[in-house]
Amino acid sequence: MTRADVLVVILAAALLAVLYAHFWSAPTLAAQVRVQEGNQPPRIYALDQDRVIRVRGPLGDSVLRIRHGRVRFVSSPCRGKICVHAGWLSHAGEAAACVPNRVSVQVLGQDPRFDAINS
Amino acid sequence: MPFLPRVPRRPAARSLARLGIGLLALALAACDRSGGAVYQQQFFAFGTLVDVTIYGADTALAQKATDAAEQDFHRMHRAWHAWHPSDLTRTNHRLATGRAFKAPASVLALIRRSRVLARRSDGLFDPAVGKLLALWGFESDTPPSGPPPDPARIKALVAAHPSMEDIEVRGDRVRCTNPAVQLDFGAFAKGYGVDQVIEHLRRLGIRNAIVDAGGDLRAIGRHGDRPWRIGIRAPRGPGVLASVEVSGDQSVFTSGDYERYFMYKGKRYHHILDPRTGYPARGAVSVTVIDPDAAVADAAATALFVAGPKQWVTIARRMGIHYVMLVDDQGTVHMNPAMAKRIHFETDKAPKVVLSPSL
Repeated sequence: MTRADVLVVILAAALLAVLYAHFWSAPTLAAQVRVQEGNQPPRIYALDQDRVIRVRGPLGDSVLRIRHGRVRFVSSPCRGKICVHAGWLSHAGEAAACVPNRVSVQVLGQDPRFDAINS
Repeated sequence: MPFLPRVPRRPAARSLARLGIGLLALALAACDRSGGAVYQQQFFAFGTLVDVTIYGADTALAQKATDAAEQDFHRMHRAWHAWHPSDLTRTNHRLATGRAFKAPASVLALIRRSRVLARRSDGLFDPAVGKLLALWGFESDTPPSGPPPDPARIKALVAAHPSMEDIEVRGDRVRCTNPAVQLDFGAFAKGYGVDQVIEHLRRLGIRNAIVDAGGDLRAIGRHGDRPWRIGIRAPRGPGVLASVEVSGDQSVFTSGDYERYFMYKGKRYHHILDPRTGYPARGAVSVTVIDPDAAVADAAATALFVAGPKQWVTIARRMGIHYVMLVDDQGTVHMNPAMAKRIHFETDKAPKVVLSPSL
């Protein structure tokens, strides 16, 4: 085997790895969630670690829960509870917000199914 | 090396190697294009969560553009607030005097634009009904919880027939001939504001972006080599009802009875009031409109919601709207054929669809 042959084999292997990563690595699988309070810099949490997050907003604490790769508002000190009714979010791009308490969550991912949700 | 022929094949190997390097570079470039070129930022402004997505601009420019958008929204919010002291509340006080006065430029632009749309909507979209909205408690930082207001007071306001037609505009001077008029641009300012911000982004050199103000949006350009993908929320329950692809320059606006409402004795009272009755419009639960202009889309979504399943085709034609989807209170989806071609349902079971004649 010549050097060129070795190079071809290495390149082919590298290309395979790149292509695998690009096309097969479940791009819509949610891995992280972005939590934002007011206009503060957002905080990022992994979705594979179950936890409860309390976010202090102007009205009080909004409570978020991460469980089995999903996230939701459990409670929020607003009146409408639109955020709580949004339920579990798991797909990249899905989001919910408590506008009165200025807390928002968005599931992050490589290639979200939607660029925006009209509502 | 038993599995490789020992025949010298250098030229072939060299061209293969070149091919390999070329493919690798292509694959890496593709990764870079799809992953690194999107800039997204959210902020609270305009009384809602605003989401700006920019494609294909360098980070410094995208950051600058997003900051500009945020400042614009804050400025417009201060100018057009319907119940906190603003250019609009000052304008309302002076309209109530019945005398002519010089209107602030920020409000004059809204009056001019919305008057035309109110007329085209046959008055179903009419920002002059601020007193009705206030009576129902929708002009407040805390949403109303019921009971509904006194029917006699609703009846009196409807009989006074406040309308944009009652406002005379001469140059920059305005005068109102009906004391029942009180402007509230809640069904229009968001669309108009999104248009302003998109123009600002364009002046800064942004070509591909979505400006999404609490779920109502205008999208320009594309997401690289594909159109923008927009999900449309299911009006009842979480999740997405349908999706639509947009590219070039299009606004997608939805008016729904789930946005601001209260329940009283098992009945839903929402904020989209029918100016003809003074009560929340019945028949539709959401209306989605696609139009190049966000201000038009915003006004039309409201007007067609009020028009309901029986009248929306007539009003859409009057307003020159080409893409409409209305979900009625039975869950049936009403669409014109052009919209039906663009809509892709995302639910497990497709809803019942009624196609209208072409618009």
